[in-house]
Amino acid sequence: MGVLDLFRRAAAPLSRRLSPAQKEELFDDEFQRKLDYLAMVSKRVFTGAIRAERRTKRTGSGVEFADHREYAPGDDFRYLDLHAYQRFDRLLLRLFEEEEDLSIYFIVDNSYSMGFGGGAKLRQAKRLCAALAYVGLANLDRVAIVAANAEISGRMQSTRGKARIFRVFRFLERIQADGPTDLGTALRTFVAQHKRRGLAVVLSDLYDPAGFEHGINVLRYNKFEPFVLHVIDRRDKSPPLRGDLRLYDCETGEEREVTVTAKVLERYGEAYEHYLEAVRRFCVSRQVSYFPADVATPFDELILRVFRRGGFLR
Amino acid sequence: MELTGALPGLLLQVGLGVGAAVVLLYILKLRRRPIAVPFSRLWEAVLKDKESTSLFSHLKRLLSLLLQLALLALLLLALGDPRKKVQKSEGRTLVVLLDASASMKAVDVDADMARVLAGDASEDEVRRECQPGSPELERARELGVDCDCLWMTPEGARLETESPRLRSRLDAAKDEVRALVAAVGGADRMLLAQMDATVTPKSTMTNDPVELGKALAEVHAVDVRADFSEALRFAKDALRGLPKAEIVVVGDGALGAVGSDVELGDVKLSFVPIGESERNVAITAFSVRRYPLDKSRYEVMLEVANTGSRDEDVELTLCGDGLLADVKHLHLAAGESLSRFYPNLSGAREKLAGRMRLRGGFVDALPSDDRAYAVLPERKRARIQVVSPGNMYLDAALLLDEYLDVTTVAPKQYPAAGEFDVTIFDGVNPPVAPKSGHLFYLNPGADNVPFKVDKELTSDAKYTVGFDEVDEKSPLLRYLSLGDVHIARAHPLLGEKDDKAVGKSFRGALLLQGRRQGQKFVALGFDVRESDLPLRIAWPLFVLNVINDFVEEDTGYISSFTTGSVWHLPAPAAVDTATLTLPDGSERVVPVKDGRAIFLGDTAGFYALASGAGSAAESSRFAANISDPGESHVAPAAELVVKGVTAGTLERFTVGVQPEIWIYILLGVLGISAIEWLTYHRRLTV
Repeated sequence: MGVLDLFRRAAAPLSRRLSPAQKEELFDDEFQRKLDYLAMVSKRVFTGAIRAERRTKRTGSGVEFADHREYAPGDDFRYLDLHAYQRFDRLLLRLFEEEEDLSIYFIVDNSYSMGFGGGAKLRQAKRLCAALAYVGLANLDRVAIVAANAEISGRMQSTRGKARIFRVFRFLERIQADGPTDLGTALRTFVAQHKRRGLAVVLSDLYDPAGFEHGINVLRYNKFEPFVLHVIDRRDKSPPLRGDLRLYDCETGEEREVTVTAKVLERYGEAYEHYLEAVRRFCVSRQVSYFPADVATPFDELILRVFRRGGFLR
Repeated sequence: MELTGALPGLLLQVGLGVGAAVVLLYILKLRRRPIAVPFSRLWEAVLKDKESTSLFSHLKRLLSLLLQLALLALLLLALGDPRKKVQKSEGRTLVVLLDASASMKAVDVDADMARVLAGDASEDEVRRECQPGSPELERARELGVDCDCLWMTPEGARLETESPRLRSRLDAAKDEVRALVAAVGGADRMLLAQMDATVTPKSTMTNDPVELGKALAEVHAVDVRADFSEALRFAKDALRGLPKAEIVVVGDGALGAVGSDVELGDVKLSFVPIGESERNVAITAFSVRRYPLDKSRYEVMLEVANTGSRDEDVELTLCGDGLLADVKHLHLAAGESLSRFYPNLSGAREKLAGRMRLRGGFVDALPSDDRAYAVLPERKRARIQVVSPGNMYLDAALLLDEYLDVTTVAPKQYPAAGEFDVTIFDGVNPPVAPKSGHLFYLNPGADNVPFKVDKELTSDAKYTVGFDEVDEKSPLLRYLSLGDVHIARAHPLLGEKDDKAVGKSFRGALLLQGRRQGQKFVALGFDVRESDLPLRIAWPLFVLNVINDFVEEDTGYISSFTTGSVWHLPAPAAVDTATLTLPDGSERVVPVKDGRAIFLGDTAGFYALASGAGSAAESSRFAANISDPGESHVAPAAELVVKGVTAGTLERFTVGVQPEIWIYILLGVLGISAIEWLTYHRRLTV
């Protein structure tokens, strides 16, 4: 493969370079073009590593004026503000905002519960992750993906640039539902492995026996900005169960004997709604961005409308 | 309350076994279906509420177990068929004797027929049509309202003079019994028996209306007299030891006297009378015979009777083989009985039928006794071989019967070619050749004969040789007398032990009959030409009797049997069974013992008996008639008297008593089970 081929391949629409399965699984050319105009919104400003399109706290060689400061010997004369010197008779140095990249971490829950019911939730999480990762890569952000259940079961190193989207795809393809959920433990490992702070997008159903709060709090306490994309399958609310059953948790194997009646199912539905409300209330109260992502909602609609309307994308 | 069904011990065993199984099933934990859920914590809140009611659930489970055990106990109780003691003691036990004798075929209870009998309408006014083979026609034939020759139209599609859709006394009796069955209470028991020449129980002692209904449908009238004594004995035996025993007789009361050995004791006798009219004429005797000397001709004897209380003009018709032979118009006074002879008839070969009907388009109450049947004895052409130097008297005697094929040979030419049924040795006794048939010796010598010939007897002044002693019942001597025959010389004949001396002088047998290895012989110990026997009418009769005896052509043939008795029908001795074809065309296998087929006949009409197979197959026909003046007296009895005791009327049953508690128990069990099933599947009780 020559250099020209590589260029053609890089310049070709994304869908043309994808296998049919990937096209089916991810997104088409039209959707891809729409994603090119999107960018993820971070409420906080993080320190970047290299120059990019994100504002940072640092001042430097950017084009956006930031502030003045007193001239000190050794400063570059080019940045002296001569207009201010004429008006105020003071040597003031012009400071410019440094534009750096943003680290975005996608934490994909790949526990058993995500694969429950045909794997619709994991599939939805993968699609969302792929789309959002493309948005990040298109904005020259550093994108890293980890698969987490009770531990970090997979990790894709940080990468930048749209051309790296295939690496994202390949990594996502390898993710399988496996193991129990313990986001608290897994994300403690995550924060230990990733010193550079940034956005942490958690894609999970939050079926964490230890409590969904632990994982989110770990991110909060370690200066990450957590975004919770709560993957919801409404079929979990009204399972087709009837009669005398022995229910066991697909992750922990914990068993419960129950006689499922219409009344019990009704109460279960209420408990499910209470659980969703508890998650939403927790995130809102902690100023954590929370977006429910129903598997029944087409993921392009989620990306282009719901997330934009919610301020997650712009 | 007591259990009348399954024994309490058995119920206890079944209850313990099944109850233990039910408890075991409840003790064993119900194996639940394992189902995976994505997040069991979501179920905790729900299950916490359930756990708070677990005590109630256990209680419900226990209640469910108790409910199942209660259902089991109820089922066992139902199997035990509980009844109140007072109900059981009040039950009546009945034996219903349903008269199915010939008189019960009377059709006087038919509404239209009653009008005819009362003279309110002629038969033409109530005539109804029917199709051949239709149930109405079959029904009419069952009642005897049909004819087999003259009275059908050529198409056979319509009865000209009969009213086929008739209702008989038996039908009316069945209606009475049906009402009786419907009124029987739960504690009552009933046994239904058909009463005719025998007594046939048609049901068990039961109160099941379905079984009694089926039994009632099986009862049918037959052409016999009812044996009331036997029926009472049967009923008495069936009711022995049972409470509130009662015999119910349903019939017209024409049952005759009861035997002296019948004692009713404490058994109550009730009578349900059936019948309306007594107007009836009947053929009470019907007989036919061929003339011995001219078997192509025959004579018929008929006896007719008017058993009613009014004078009747009747038309008497005689048919031979389906062709009209004679019609007579008679006037019968009330209760009068007349005999009529039809001499010198010819033409018919086999079947004769007599038919009587009222003139003026009226019919009597009992059509089945208006007919009579007879069968003429079959004519066989016998092959006779005469070995004689010449005997004019013998030749003359043999010429009298046109059905004899006579071959005369001289003694030296014996045997003649061919096979013969009878060989007559006239004064000669050569060695018997094969195919000679049965043997008739006239004045035999001492050699080559199956008996011994004694020294000669000669008549003198003191003693004339003759038959001093004769067996008058012997078929050889039918219609003749040998008492005053004078014989000049004779040789007494000495037979063996089983041989029969039909005619003897005081010095020895002169007429000997016997059998050797299946071959019959008859020997006359003198030359007929040395006696005055050939000058008598007895001589040809004697010769023909001997030949008839050999070829088994009996001039004393029974032209018809009487129904209601056991018939002993001639059949080959070599067979064990024979096939009897009844008048309705059905066949029945009957046993044969000592050359006689045995059968209890209960239907008038023509029968056919077939036996053997292949070349040994034989068949014969005969007829049967009611011939019972007692059954022709169809006047219904208003009351029934047995040994001076008048039978009472049937008391009505207690209505409304329904002791079948088990049905309600079973319905209760089903109801509770249905409720339990519904509540379980609607999760109200789980």
